[in-house]
Amino acid sequence: MAHEARAAALREFFTPLVTAMGFKFTPDRELADFLLEQEAALEETKGAPYCPCQGRTRERAHDMRIVCPCIPYHRRHFDAMRRCWCGLFVHEDVTDPDALPQIPASELGIEE
Amino acid sequence: MTPADHAVFIYALSTCPWCHKAKRYFEDNGIPFEAVDIDLLPDDEGDRLADEALFASGSRAYPVVRIGEQVIVGYAPEKYAELLGIGD
Repeated sequence: MAHEARAAALREFFTPLVTAMGFKFTPDRELADFLLEQEAALEETKGAPYCPCQGRTRERAHDMRIVCPCIPYHRRHFDAMRRCWCGLFVHEDVTDPDALPQIPASELGIEE
Repeated sequence: MTPADHAVFIYALSTCPWCHKAKRYFEDNGIPFEAVDIDLLPDDEGDRLADEALFASGSRAYPVVRIGEQVIVGYAPEKYAELLGIGD
Protein backbone atom coordinates (compact mmCIF):
# COMPACT_ATOMS: atom_id res chain seq x y z
CA MET A 1 0.00 0.00 0.00
CA ALA A 2 1.53 3.23 -1.20
CA HIS A 3 0.15 5.36 1.61
CA GLU A 4 0.16 2.86 4.44
CA ALA A 5 2.07 5.01 6.91
CA ARG A 6 -0.07 8.09 6.35
CA ALA A 7 -3.24 6.00 6.50
CA ALA A 8 -2.15 4.68 9.88
CA ALA A 9 -1.41 8.22 11.05
CA LEU A 10 -4.86 9.36 9.92
CA ARG A 11 -6.44 6.51 11.87
CA GLU A 12 -4.61 7.61 14.99
CA PHE A 13 -5.49 11.27 14.39
CA PHE A 14 -9.18 10.63 13.70
CA THR A 15 -9.84 8.26 16.60
CA PRO A 16 -10.22 10.81 19.42
CA LEU A 17 -12.11 13.21 17.15
CA VAL A 18 -14.82 10.75 16.15
CA THR A 19 -14.97 9.19 19.62
CA ALA A 20 -15.95 12.59 20.98
CA MET A 21 -18.76 12.68 18.42
CA GLY A 22 -20.15 9.26 19.37
CA PHE A 23 -18.70 7.46 16.36
CA LYS A 24 -16.00 4.83 15.89
CA PHE A 25 -14.16 3.26 12.96
CA THR A 26 -16.19 0.68 11.12
CA PRO A 27 -15.41 -2.83 12.39
CA ASP A 28 -14.95 -3.78 8.70
CA ARG A 29 -11.19 -3.44 8.80
CA GLU A 30 -10.70 -4.06 5.08
CA LEU A 31 -13.13 -1.27 4.20
CA ALA A 32 -11.56 1.10 6.72
CA ASP A 33 -8.05 0.42 5.44
CA PHE A 34 -9.13 0.98 1.84
CA LEU A 35 -10.87 4.27 2.67
CA LEU A 36 -7.96 5.55 4.73
CA GLU A 37 -5.60 4.68 1.90
CA GLN A 38 -7.77 6.67 -0.51
CA GLU A 39 -7.87 9.61 1.88
CA ALA A 40 -4.10 9.58 2.26
CA ALA A 41 -3.78 9.61 -1.54
CA LEU A 42 -6.28 12.47 -1.83
CA GLU A 43 -4.40 14.39 0.81
CA GLU A 44 -1.21 13.98 -1.19
CA THR A 45 -2.71 14.92 -4.55
CA LYS A 46 -5.56 17.29 -3.63
CA GLY A 47 -4.33 18.81 -0.38
CA ALA A 48 -6.69 17.30 2.19
CA PRO A 49 -8.08 13.89 3.18
CA TYR A 50 -11.39 14.38 1.40
CA CYS A 51 -14.20 11.87 1.65
CA PRO A 52 -13.52 9.27 -1.08
CA CYS A 53 -17.24 9.00 -1.84
CA GLN A 54 -18.21 12.65 -2.18
CA GLY A 55 -17.35 14.89 -5.09
CA ARG A 56 -15.13 17.91 -4.76
CA THR A 57 -16.05 21.14 -6.51
CA ARG A 58 -12.79 23.07 -5.92
CA GLU A 59 -14.92 25.68 -4.13
CA ARG A 60 -13.38 25.97 -0.69
CA ALA A 61 -16.66 26.45 1.21
CA HIS A 62 -18.05 23.24 -0.25
CA ASP A 63 -14.92 21.16 -0.20
CA MET A 64 -14.12 21.93 3.45
CA ARG A 65 -17.40 20.23 4.31
CA ILE A 66 -16.16 16.90 2.98
CA VAL A 67 -12.76 16.79 4.66
CA CYS A 68 -12.65 13.71 6.87
CA PRO A 69 -14.01 13.39 9.46
CA CYS A 70 -16.89 15.38 7.96
CA ILE A 71 -19.43 14.27 10.59
CA PRO A 72 -20.07 17.77 12.05
CA TYR A 73 -21.20 19.07 8.65
CA HIS A 74 -23.63 16.21 8.06
CA ARG A 75 -24.60 15.42 11.62
CA ARG A 76 -28.35 14.89 11.18
CA HIS A 77 -27.85 12.81 8.04
CA PHE A 78 -25.14 10.60 9.51
CA ASP A 79 -26.95 10.18 12.82
CA ALA A 80 -30.02 9.02 10.91
CA MET A 81 -27.97 6.46 8.94
CA ARG A 82 -25.84 5.61 12.00
CA ARG A 83 -22.82 5.80 9.70
CA CYS A 84 -21.04 8.37 7.60
CA TRP A 85 -21.58 8.37 3.85
CA CYS A 86 -18.44 6.41 2.94
CA GLY A 87 -18.84 4.08 5.90
CA LEU A 88 -15.48 4.79 7.51
CA PHE A 89 -17.27 5.66 10.74
CA VAL A 90 -20.33 4.18 12.40
CA HIS A 91 -22.17 4.97 15.59
CA GLU A 92 -20.28 3.60 18.58
CA ASP A 93 -22.90 0.90 19.28
CA VAL A 94 -22.89 -0.56 15.74
CA THR A 95 -21.59 -4.11 15.42
CA ASP A 96 -22.89 -4.99 11.93
CA PRO A 97 -22.00 -2.21 9.50
CA ASP A 98 -23.34 -4.23 6.55
CA ALA A 99 -26.82 -3.70 7.96
CA LEU A 100 -26.53 0.07 7.50
CA PRO A 101 -27.34 1.15 3.96
CA GLN A 102 -26.42 4.42 2.32
CA ILE A 103 -29.53 6.61 2.36
CA PRO A 104 -29.44 9.97 0.62
CA ALA A 105 -30.22 12.93 2.86
CA SER A 106 -33.14 13.87 0.64
CA GLU A 107 -34.85 10.52 1.37
CA LEU A 108 -34.57 11.24 5.07
CA GLY A 109 -36.07 14.68 4.67
CA ILE A 110 -32.78 16.28 5.64
CA GLU A 111 -31.56 19.35 3.82
CA GLU A 112 -27.78 19.63 3.55
CA MET B 1 -39.67 -5.34 -19.99
CA THR B 2 -36.42 -7.15 -19.22
CA PRO B 3 -33.39 -5.82 -17.34
CA ALA B 4 -31.57 -5.40 -20.65
CA ASP B 5 -34.23 -2.89 -21.71
CA HIS B 6 -33.09 -0.47 -19.02
CA ALA B 7 -30.24 1.87 -19.82
CA VAL B 8 -27.93 1.89 -16.82
CA PHE B 9 -25.37 4.59 -16.23
CA ILE B 10 -23.19 4.93 -13.14
CA TYR B 11 -21.56 8.19 -12.09
CA ALA B 12 -18.69 7.08 -9.87
CA LEU B 13 -15.48 8.06 -8.14
CA SER B 14 -12.44 5.82 -8.48
CA THR B 15 -11.76 6.28 -4.76
CA CYS B 16 -15.22 5.10 -3.65
CA PRO B 17 -15.65 1.44 -2.66
CA TRP B 18 -19.45 1.72 -2.92
CA CYS B 19 -19.05 2.80 -6.52
CA HIS B 20 -16.95 -0.33 -7.10
CA LYS B 21 -19.68 -2.42 -5.48
CA ALA B 22 -22.37 -0.84 -7.65
CA LYS B 23 -20.44 -1.67 -10.81
CA ARG B 24 -19.88 -5.21 -9.57
CA TYR B 25 -23.61 -5.61 -8.89
CA PHE B 26 -24.45 -4.99 -12.54
CA GLU B 27 -21.54 -7.12 -13.74
CA ASP B 28 -22.56 -10.02 -11.50
CA ASN B 29 -26.14 -9.81 -12.70
CA GLY B 30 -25.15 -9.66 -16.35
CA ILE B 31 -26.72 -6.27 -16.86
CA PRO B 32 -25.01 -4.01 -19.39
CA PHE B 33 -24.06 -0.64 -18.03
CA GLU B 34 -21.89 2.34 -18.68
CA ALA B 35 -19.87 3.95 -15.93
CA VAL B 36 -17.53 6.86 -15.57
CA ASP B 37 -15.08 7.67 -12.81
CA ILE B 38 -15.54 11.42 -12.68
CA ASP B 39 -12.37 12.07 -10.69
CA LEU B 40 -10.22 10.51 -13.39
CA LEU B 41 -11.44 12.87 -16.10
CA PRO B 42 -9.85 16.19 -17.04
CA ASP B 43 -11.31 18.98 -14.87
CA ASP B 44 -13.66 20.44 -17.48
CA GLU B 45 -15.12 17.08 -18.49
CA GLY B 46 -15.30 15.92 -14.88
CA ASP B 47 -17.08 19.12 -13.88
CA ARG B 48 -19.61 18.68 -16.66
CA LEU B 49 -20.46 15.13 -15.60
CA ALA B 50 -20.45 16.03 -11.90
CA ASP B 51 -22.96 18.79 -12.66
CA GLU B 52 -25.00 16.31 -14.66
CA ALA B 53 -25.02 13.91 -11.70
CA LEU B 54 -25.90 16.75 -9.34
CA PHE B 55 -28.78 17.85 -11.56
CA ALA B 56 -30.09 14.28 -11.73
CA SER B 57 -29.64 13.39 -8.07
CA GLY B 58 -29.54 16.64 -6.10
CA SER B 59 -26.40 15.36 -4.44
CA ARG B 60 -22.63 15.28 -4.74
CA ALA B 61 -22.55 11.92 -2.98
CA TYR B 62 -21.58 8.90 -5.06
CA PRO B 63 -22.39 6.49 -6.59
CA VAL B 64 -25.23 7.95 -8.60
CA VAL B 65 -26.96 5.23 -10.61
CA ARG B 66 -29.37 6.03 -13.37
CA ILE B 67 -31.65 3.17 -14.42
CA GLY B 68 -33.88 4.29 -17.23
CA GLU B 69 -35.45 7.52 -16.00
CA GLN B 70 -34.90 6.72 -12.33
CA VAL B 71 -31.91 7.91 -10.30
CA ILE B 72 -30.61 6.23 -7.15
CA VAL B 73 -27.97 7.77 -4.93
CA GLY B 74 -25.79 5.30 -3.07
CA TYR B 75 -25.12 1.59 -3.20
CA ALA B 76 -28.60 0.11 -2.94
CA PRO B 77 -28.85 -3.34 -4.55
CA GLU B 78 -32.45 -3.86 -3.44
CA LYS B 79 -33.50 -0.67 -5.19
CA TYR B 80 -31.54 -1.59 -8.31
CA ALA B 81 -33.25 -4.99 -8.40
CA GLU B 82 -36.68 -3.46 -7.92
CA LEU B 83 -36.21 -1.03 -10.78
CA LEU B 84 -34.78 -3.74 -13.00
CA GLY B 85 -37.58 -6.12 -12.11
CA ILE B 86 -35.23 -8.89 -11.11
CA GLY B 87 -35.68 -11.25 -8.18
CA ASP B 88 -33.50 -11.54 -5.09
